[in-house]
Amino acid sequence: MDFEANFEIDRTADYIHSHNFTRVALQFPDELLKDSIRVVKELREKLRALRKCDDDDRGGTLVEGKRDVGLYVMADTAYGSCCVDEVGAAHINAECVVHYGHTCLSPTSTLPAFFVFGKACINVSDCAQKICTFASSCNKPILVLLGLEYTYAIHDLKGTLEDEALKLSTSSSKLDINCASVLSSTVAPPTGQMTSNGQAEVVNNLSSFPEAGDAEVHTSYSISGLTWNIPHGQRIEDYLVFWIGLDNSAFANVVLTLNACEIVRYVPAEKSLITDVSQITRILQRRYYLVEKAKDAGIVGILVGTLGVAGYLHMIHQMKDLVTKAGKKAYTIVVGRPNPAKLANFPECDVFVYVSCAQTALLDSKEFLAPIITPFEAMLAFKRGSQWTGAYTMEFRDLMNMPSCGVEVGTDEPRFSFILGRYVEDLDHEEIADDSEGLALAISTEKALRLRDKDVNTLANIDPKSGAEFLAMRSYQGLDIHHDGSMPKPIVIGRTGRAAGYENEKSQ
Amino acid sequence: MVKFTADELRRIMDCKHNIRNMSVIAHVDHGKSTLTDSLVAAAGIIAQEVAGDVRMTDTRADEAERGITIKSTGISLYYQMTDEALNAFKGERDGNDYLINLIDSPGHVDFSSEVTAALRITDGALVVVDCIEGVCVQTETVLRQALGERIRPVLTVNKMDRCFLELQVDGEEAYTTFQKVIENANVIMATYEDPLLGDVQVYPEKGTVAFSAGLHGWAFTLSNFAKMYASKFGVDEAKMMERLWGENFFDPATKKWTTKNTGTATCKRGFVQFCYEPIKQVIATCMNDQKDKLWPMLTKLGVQLKSEEKELMGKALMKRVMQTWLPASSALLEMMIYHLPSPATAQRYRVENLYEGPMDDVYATAIRNCDPEGPLMLYVSKMIPAPDKGRFFAFGRVFAGKVSTGMKVRIMGPNYVPGEKKDLYVKNVQRTVIWMGKRQETVEDVPCGNTVAMVGLDQFITKNATLTNEKEVDAHPIRAMKFSVSPVVRVAVQCKVASDLPKLVEGLKRLAKSDPMVLCSITESGEHIIAGAGELHLEICLKDLQDDFMGGAEISKSDPVVSFRETVLEKSSRVVMSKSPNKHNRLYMEARPMEDGLAEAIDEGRIGPRDDPKIRSKILAEEFGWDKDLAKKIWCFGPETTGPNMVVDMCKGVQYLNEIKDSVVAGFQWASKEGALAEENMRGICFEVCDVVLHADAIHRGGGQVIPTARRVMYASQLTAKPRLMEPIYLVEIQAPEQALGGIYSVLNQKRGHVFEEMQRPGTPLYNIKAYLPVVESFGFSSTLRAATSGQAFPQCVFDHWEIMTQDPLDPTSQAAALVGNIRKRKGLKEAITPLSEFEDKL
Repeated sequence: MDFEANFEIDRTADYIHSHNFTRVALQFPDELLKDSIRVVKELREKLRALRKCDDDDRGGTLVEGKRDVGLYVMADTAYGSCCVDEVGAAHINAECVVHYGHTCLSPTSTLPAFFVFGKACINVSDCAQKICTFASSCNKPILVLLGLEYTYAIHDLKGTLEDEALKLSTSSSKLDINCASVLSSTVAPPTGQMTSNGQAEVVNNLSSFPEAGDAEVHTSYSISGLTWNIPHGQRIEDYLVFWIGLDNSAFANVVLTLNACEIVRYVPAEKSLITDVSQITRILQRRYYLVEKAKDAGIVGILVGTLGVAGYLHMIHQMKDLVTKAGKKAYTIVVGRPNPAKLANFPECDVFVYVSCAQTALLDSKEFLAPIITPFEAMLAFKRGSQWTGAYTMEFRDLMNMPSCGVEVGTDEPRFSFILGRYVEDLDHEEIADDSEGLALAISTEKALRLRDKDVNTLANIDPKSGAEFLAMRSYQGLDIHHDGSMPKPIVIGRTGRAAGYENEKSQ
Repeated sequence: MVKFTADELRRIMDCKHNIRNMSVIAHVDHGKSTLTDSLVAAAGIIAQEVAGDVRMTDTRADEAERGITIKSTGISLYYQMTDEALNAFKGERDGNDYLINLIDSPGHVDFSSEVTAALRITDGALVVVDCIEGVCVQTETVLRQALGERIRPVLTVNKMDRCFLELQVDGEEAYTTFQKVIENANVIMATYEDPLLGDVQVYPEKGTVAFSAGLHGWAFTLSNFAKMYASKFGVDEAKMMERLWGENFFDPATKKWTTKNTGTATCKRGFVQFCYEPIKQVIATCMNDQKDKLWPMLTKLGVQLKSEEKELMGKALMKRVMQTWLPASSALLEMMIYHLPSPATAQRYRVENLYEGPMDDVYATAIRNCDPEGPLMLYVSKMIPAPDKGRFFAFGRVFAGKVSTGMKVRIMGPNYVPGEKKDLYVKNVQRTVIWMGKRQETVEDVPCGNTVAMVGLDQFITKNATLTNEKEVDAHPIRAMKFSVSPVVRVAVQCKVASDLPKLVEGLKRLAKSDPMVLCSITESGEHIIAGAGELHLEICLKDLQDDFMGGAEISKSDPVVSFRETVLEKSSRVVMSKSPNKHNRLYMEARPMEDGLAEAIDEGRIGPRDDPKIRSKILAEEFGWDKDLAKKIWCFGPETTGPNMVVDMCKGVQYLNEIKDSVVAGFQWASKEGALAEENMRGICFEVCDVVLHADAIHRGGGQVIPTARRVMYASQLTAKPRLMEPIYLVEIQAPEQALGGIYSVLNQKRGHVFEEMQRPGTPLYNIKAYLPVVESFGFSSTLRAATSGQAFPQCVFDHWEIMTQDPLDPTSQAAALVGNIRKRKGLKEAITPLSEFEDKL
């Protein structure tokens, strides 16, 4: 496909120019980084041309001192390529970020962003025909969702679909086709009232809950930048959902959120329909297991997975509250993009809650020592009496206007743990709340030490309640200055060479 | 129709000497429930006429349908004994009213856990043995269990009617058969001599053996006949009883008793002469409708029939006559009241088995004395589904004190540790309930020595618990029950509709509660697993789950999931090495199989993480030939810190080694839980840490670097040490007549089983076969066997051991490799085993 069209140089230049940005960060995912130079070059030319044009309009006088727009190329954020790297952009005092490639369209917190989705090939007529043929075999209303890289074709597709539907529809049945549309390719941070609860505005825009206004006759939904409405009185569960695009994180997001719907995927590259999405029930089951496991956790690590998505700080605080109220200990950890080695450095954490954008939220590799769950799952796990009803929310912003986690009445009923196969009692909140923070730590450490004293030679099977208790249970607790045999050791010659094979090892 | 009221029942509960708590135990199909019916009939809960057909204690539809008991059912029965019946009773008693708390238990091995739960709350056991089949596998199992709990047994030789009607054996032959049955039972009991319980063997001449025909509702002990003849011979009853059993012969011609058969035609054994023959005669006369002969006979025996009963013919007549002459209830009741202990007697010696705390504290004393004024000690042995959906009665026995409606109790769960707050709740008992037949009656309170059901505690008790008074903070719990079977057969259940998942979860919780044995858990991949003792057990559980606990929501179950174990055959072919993610740390390890018997020793807890290292190294050195110093270098056991695998430190002079110990241990717990072959638990693998190279900076050798590396190197060493799968093996016991043997052998062969013992049951045409059978092959085994032997063979399977499968799972053409592939697929893993190169690094 045409380079210029693919990277939407014109539109980008217009956007930058019309907003009079002078410093712009261009964020490329790794796979597009190779094209960045060319993009910058073309963009710069375009901008120059635009300015010249402007200047010409004003009467041909070149205004002195007005320099070129500063274009800076950035690679991925430390967290994932789908989010806008606001921190990176802040390093160069950028006024705006242009994001290329796959995105989650999460709202930003400080900088405006412009998204270039790229364009992937799609045969619109084939797609429309396949969808309609399949749909006509089952009597359900249809919802068409598509990957952002196909949004450029959305108008064509809508038209063709309607034509096809007309062709196929008979007097008895009429295909009811609903097509999602893309919100916008720009995101601006909330302006003005960005107060402590300022996220409310953003949340409402993207809410997947029925909108409050009585005048509304439809329910609107939004998942990863796609929005659609369904008429009031119909339930989303009744829809047959088509997904046009790859089996990527956006798709997983859709499938998990709409887990009650029948979902069919159209693969544009192969021009085929894939109806078997059975692995999704598997994923759901697995997630449920993780929730169960989290319920048994004593220490929870809150992993910061984004520094850009609006409201992330609020969410972290909310999570912290939630965990503390559940009688567990929370630690907040920032490690960039999590990997097994990094997280294994926190062996005391029984479970991690990953606060990130919706599309990077599902981190499920068996390589991790402890399970990683999403804030939604954390809500299920740590809020007493809450039950998974089948609904699933990936976006943590949707959680923020769920009823505050402070109001639930603590039932003192024990909980049945499927992991342990028996009832367990959760720690009482009051017990923790009683002691002041510092004192609680001292007390628990003392308790842990006492426990350890009892049976010194065993790895005590008691679940630690805090990092201090965990440390007390370890057999090695760091250098011990008071150790009896702390006579200085004679100096010996160490290894030389590189870790790949030290010099004395090469000979082997 | 019910002859007694709740008030009467409640009154008798206070007389601790007049209570008998007993369970009915036997092999499957030996007639427990049927016999129980006749007892229930005597208490007036069901009509005498239908006794034997109703199976009162089989309350569930599926029990009735299959004709087997599934859940143990408790019934409180109230009897008024006559003075003369109690004449000879020497023990303590308060009046003539007796309360029998009877629990009918299932006989099928899959439900042995129900028996265990029943035995805990009773003091005596009525062991029912089929007079023809004799002592069977399950008879033995439950009998041993009962004796282990210090429960005094009495025996009844059941299905006497078969002797008379079906087989028509003559007296001497019948005697020999009965004698054998009793002897076999005594052999088992003799091993449980214990000074407190006294002699537990049973003797017909002492009245601890009854002979019964549950189906026809009659039974007798020798004392019935002794009473009849004592006056005639002018000897006392006890003397007469002795003459009616054993080597005592009577010749009516000479009217002399001898201890040897004199050889004359008229000389017969006492038992045959005076018990067997008369019964045989009466039955024969009834069956042949020789009423003219019958009436004089009955008058002589003192049996009076109502006029409408005289109209009956054949079998019905026989049943009626026998029931009136030798009513099962009075014979059995007399035996129970005379020979089974009252709670007051039983708790004196059972306290040692029951109470975990010191034997001299106030709680032990209260249990010992069965003191209604003492502190409450109550053991909840099972949870019974209540009529209102989703709720349960907590069913148990009061050992001391009283439990009353509205009382605040301390609930100590199975994981409660005295002095801690774990697994401990203080809650109100909403109602106390007693069972009267099928009805429940609420009573104000229940004193010690009785069984009771409580409402309002179900949310705090999983399966069992000890209850005590709110204030009794130093009370120790009552010892947990030990089950004779373990849940080895597992299926994964799924709901057909994803949104039913919460229902499924709720249902599983209730299922876990309702059955003492079943385990509900969730696997790594999120499958919900139900584990039961056998195929039948699971089938019942699934049915309960779907119909009762999930309100009929559809579920699908997988094929039975059998868990395997991963082990190694040899020492690793070389020392393997893995590098940490940052390449700065290296771990060198080897895997080797543990010595024979070591894994079992760890399973049994003879060797474990909590041992004194000195004792541990002594056992390891003496029994398993370990080096004494090496035994001190065991880092840990796993999985779950107690499993049958370990890590041993073989390094010499490595710096910072103690620093990474915790990380290696963490990696080991993980690796031993999910082996490299199919992510099954490891078993019998000993990992030796040979050498370690660490980065000089602590930050570069943290858990993040070492834990994943330890896991990888263990996988690598497992893969280089000839990894093998181990499969679980059942011990199967089959009892069948000779002509069925051929069928049994061919089915066993076909199912990869092998027979290791074949024994003819002395005095019977039956053979006892013991065989090993892989659990994987056991599904559908009973039905295949039944088909192949036209229903004559009935197997009982119990998990026995793990056996190494000889094929190499790394050879892609082998069966083991296919098996591994299947397991991996089920778990959602890549089908091929991850190659060694993924785990092992090169320098």
